[in-house]
Amino acid sequence: MLYNEPLVSLRRACLAIAAAGVAWSAPGPARAAPLELSYWEKWTRFEGDAMIAVVADFNKSQDRLHVTYLPVSNVEQKVLVATAGGDPPDIAGLYAAQVVSYADKNALLPLDDYLARAGITAADFIPVFWNECVFRGHVWALPTTPATIALHWNKGLFRKAGMDPERPPKTIGELDEMADRLTIRDASGHLIQMGFIPWEPGWWNWAWGRFFGGRLWDGESKITCDEPEFVAALQWVQSYGRKYGKDQLQVFTSGFGNFASPQNAFMAGKVAMEIQGVWMYNFITQYTPKMEWGAAPFPTAKPEQYGMSDADLDVLAIPRDARHPEESFEFIKYVMTRPAMEKLCMGHRKFSPLAKVSPAFWASHPNPYIRLFDSLARHPLTFALPHLTIWQEYSEELSVAFQKVYLLEASPEEALATVKARMQKRLDRELRRMKRLGLSPA
Amino acid sequence: MSPVAREPLSSRVGRAEFRWAMLFIAPWIIGFGVFLAYPVVVSLFYSFCEYSVLAKPVWIGAGNFRDLADDDVFWISLWNTFRFAAFALPLGMIFSLGLAAMLHICAIGRATFRAIFFLPSLVPVVANAIVWMWMFNGEYGLLNAGLKVFGQQGANWLGDPFWSMPALIFMGFWGVGGSIIIFLAAFQEVPVEMYEAAELDGASSWQKFWGVTVPLISPVIFFQLITGIIGVLQVFAAPYIMTGGGPMRRTLFYSMYLYDNAFRYLRMGYACAMAWILFLLILALTLVATKISARYVHYQGS
Amino acid sequence: MSDLASAPNAPWLERKGSREMILQAFVFVGLGLLAVLFLLPLLWMVSTSLKPIEETMKMPPTFIPTSPKWENFREAVQRIPFLRYFGNTVWVSVLGTVGVVISSSLVAYGFAFLRWPGRDLFFWLTVATMMIPFPVIMVPLYGVFRKFGMIGTLMPLWLPAWFGSAWDIFLMRQFFLGIPKDLLDAARIDGATEFQIWRKIVLPVAAPVMVVVGLFHVIYSWNDFLGPLLYLTKQEKYTLSLGLQFYQSQSGGTEWHLLMAASVLMVLPVLVLFLLGQRALIRGITMTGIKM
Repeated sequence: MLYNEPLVSLRRACLAIAAAGVAWSAPGPARAAPLELSYWEKWTRFEGDAMIAVVADFNKSQDRLHVTYLPVSNVEQKVLVATAGGDPPDIAGLYAAQVVSYADKNALLPLDDYLARAGITAADFIPVFWNECVFRGHVWALPTTPATIALHWNKGLFRKAGMDPERPPKTIGELDEMADRLTIRDASGHLIQMGFIPWEPGWWNWAWGRFFGGRLWDGESKITCDEPEFVAALQWVQSYGRKYGKDQLQVFTSGFGNFASPQNAFMAGKVAMEIQGVWMYNFITQYTPKMEWGAAPFPTAKPEQYGMSDADLDVLAIPRDARHPEESFEFIKYVMTRPAMEKLCMGHRKFSPLAKVSPAFWASHPNPYIRLFDSLARHPLTFALPHLTIWQEYSEELSVAFQKVYLLEASPEEALATVKARMQKRLDRELRRMKRLGLSPA
Repeated sequence: MSPVAREPLSSRVGRAEFRWAMLFIAPWIIGFGVFLAYPVVVSLFYSFCEYSVLAKPVWIGAGNFRDLADDDVFWISLWNTFRFAAFALPLGMIFSLGLAAMLHICAIGRATFRAIFFLPSLVPVVANAIVWMWMFNGEYGLLNAGLKVFGQQGANWLGDPFWSMPALIFMGFWGVGGSIIIFLAAFQEVPVEMYEAAELDGASSWQKFWGVTVPLISPVIFFQLITGIIGVLQVFAAPYIMTGGGPMRRTLFYSMYLYDNAFRYLRMGYACAMAWILFLLILALTLVATKISARYVHYQGS
Repeated sequence: MSDLASAPNAPWLERKGSREMILQAFVFVGLGLLAVLFLLPLLWMVSTSLKPIEETMKMPPTFIPTSPKWENFREAVQRIPFLRYFGNTVWVSVLGTVGVVISSSLVAYGFAFLRWPGRDLFFWLTVATMMIPFPVIMVPLYGVFRKFGMIGTLMPLWLPAWFGSAWDIFLMRQFFLGIPKDLLDAARIDGATEFQIWRKIVLPVAAPVMVVVGLFHVIYSWNDFLGPLLYLTKQEKYTLSLGLQFYQSQSGGTEWHLLMAASVLMVLPVLVLFLLGQRALIRGITMTGIKM
């Protein structure tokens, strides 16, 4: 500028003073504070610590973003309530079970574009886990820690009963027979130890039909839980109620302690064999480190199906209306890198959902059975939750049927017919709704 | 009536009074509008919509109501709620009336007894539920320990399909303190003169109680019945915490299924339809109670 | 209203010496037994709260803990985290109570002492809304708080109290109607404004009913479970009700001693309130139950 007009220079002086004021109030040189991202997750204790360590790594790896880890109880419901309430977290750690219903309710952001840009594809993950994140042709979440379930048995109790502690049952028939030998009553006939109880811990009551080879629905429009395999599974469940007395069992199980405690039925030696997930190792080492135990594929009705399991998964997702999706995805992308993922899964003492695993991961993994759980996830018959928008109600309905059956209140056929009738109605209604809204059912 | 004549509303002073009135009731005009009237109207609208909060409501006419009629779980929850009400309400009222009568008779330590019966009704519902879960525990609960003394094997009360509902009803007796207080006060308000005529006729204590006391406090009983109906049909917290509706949905109450629909399945329209049905049921029951009681309730001075 | 506990006993009872004595004895013993039953759950709660975990699982149970374990309380407070929940609950109770007492007394004054068109209609509309079950407004109310950006905060739990509540307005109006109007008119003649009359004349006279309304609101806030369940999302904002229920759902199967310790701590403030304000509470209950 050649010519300095007094008024202009006055204005400039003011600006300079204002700028100085701003500079004064901002600490240090012009460096923007990192963007704050809130991350809600269900994990506490050591599981939480593992993720907190990964979050800390991420925060250190760059200076633009800062993720804050918040453990949230009932996260599956709270995220929904908060999203519906217009104040969702930036990143949500959900269960795979929520992906479909959340996506259907418009509560999640589809990640396809972000994935394309980041070059993340299905090939990066074990197929059963990737599939859990896909619905209506979109990807709504990405895997974090995976799980499969297996038979856990108490070798000490096997030995006490005069059985080979290294030979777990492989078929349902063997399981029943061994369970019988492992059941102990006191002088007055009171149960003091059970070999096996189909509803302990009761987290996979819906899954027995699948272990017997049944399907939950046909993938399009029919509920199929009344297939003979499901009936056979519930007949098997009922046989326990009959053989050991439902009232006796009720009173016996009501004394079981909380899962994460030394009073846990399996760890306290009240139940000799139990279906449990890959996490069980952690709890055993924490609460009853001296216990001798083993893990093997859960027995199946048909021998050729041996080696199958239920695959379950924790996921990261971005709620719809989250304020910083781009930045949130950066964090998710970071967790999907092999070092971060293996650090997280090692912290949880689980295996990795990624298709490729580093040899060091296996070598340093403390759980002696970790390769088993990994192989269960890769078994072709291994199943996961169905992609049904009404799954939550369906599973509740199945668990009601399950209770009716083990309490001898209904025959398996009756109980399952009720489930089918109700859920078919629900599904029909759901399909009508989707048609109205122009959505596809799967 | 005030002895000082007040100015008509059209006058200057009247207008000032009007302005003051608006100032005083302003909070309630806002509160009534925002937290009551608007939600009521919108809820009625939603009950005819498919609405998940995260997407715009879609009008589906009577669709929700049709679906409800065909929803087994809806009927189960309604039936459970009625079953609970049919036992909890009359039994609770008889129990509290009886206790109030005993307190009324009692000459020594009445204030202490009254305080003891009243106290549990103040225990917060969550603490109440947790304490009773522990009382009802199948293995280590106090109830079963007590039964064992008599050589009885108790059930796993809250996990038993038959006993879970009676257990919840039984637990409700613990919280009748408020009704006891009300009935006792009502007993004590009956003027002594009312008994004199009956005494002249040579009525016994029993006859006086049933012939004079009970009719005279019948408006109070009726009022308790109405508030009881409104309350009991909305039972939520205790079963939600104690049984979660189980086992086998035997303790799934109407409000719980409504809550599930609204906030777990995000079927808000469906939930609103349920809420309006509940409202209509309450109105209908209140009406029936009023009609029936018109014959029995005795209002003084009428 | 006087404390009716000191009123004479049943006037309908025949006073026939020995027969009345026998009846009195029966009633006394019956009430005594029932009183024990009523106190049992509370005593059992206190007893369990002082036991080590092994002793909670002993059959037959010990009623008096062999050696009281006071550390249970410390552990419960740390584990739950009790103080945070307690603070949130106190916050909600205090703000809500102050709000409801102020707003309801203002509104009740408007209904009781001032004349304006549509007053009676609006009043009966207000009373009629008490019939509306909460579920009817639950979903839209959630939407209202959502629009205000209050989901996940404590505000939905206390803010509405500042705009009056039908029940408390009703209660206060009934009480206000019993205040002699001459008192107000005299003040008006002296040139007092309506606000001054409310502040200087009505409030002091209405202290008993305000105590009742306040106490009831404190107890209501302390008790409320559905509200927190609907509106709170982060654990750091939980109230005692929700926090305790959450802790129970996580570790309910085992840690009964800690659960009972936390329950004792939750009941304790109510107990104090009961001891301090029993008369006001009873007066309030009889007011609402009889004077309709």
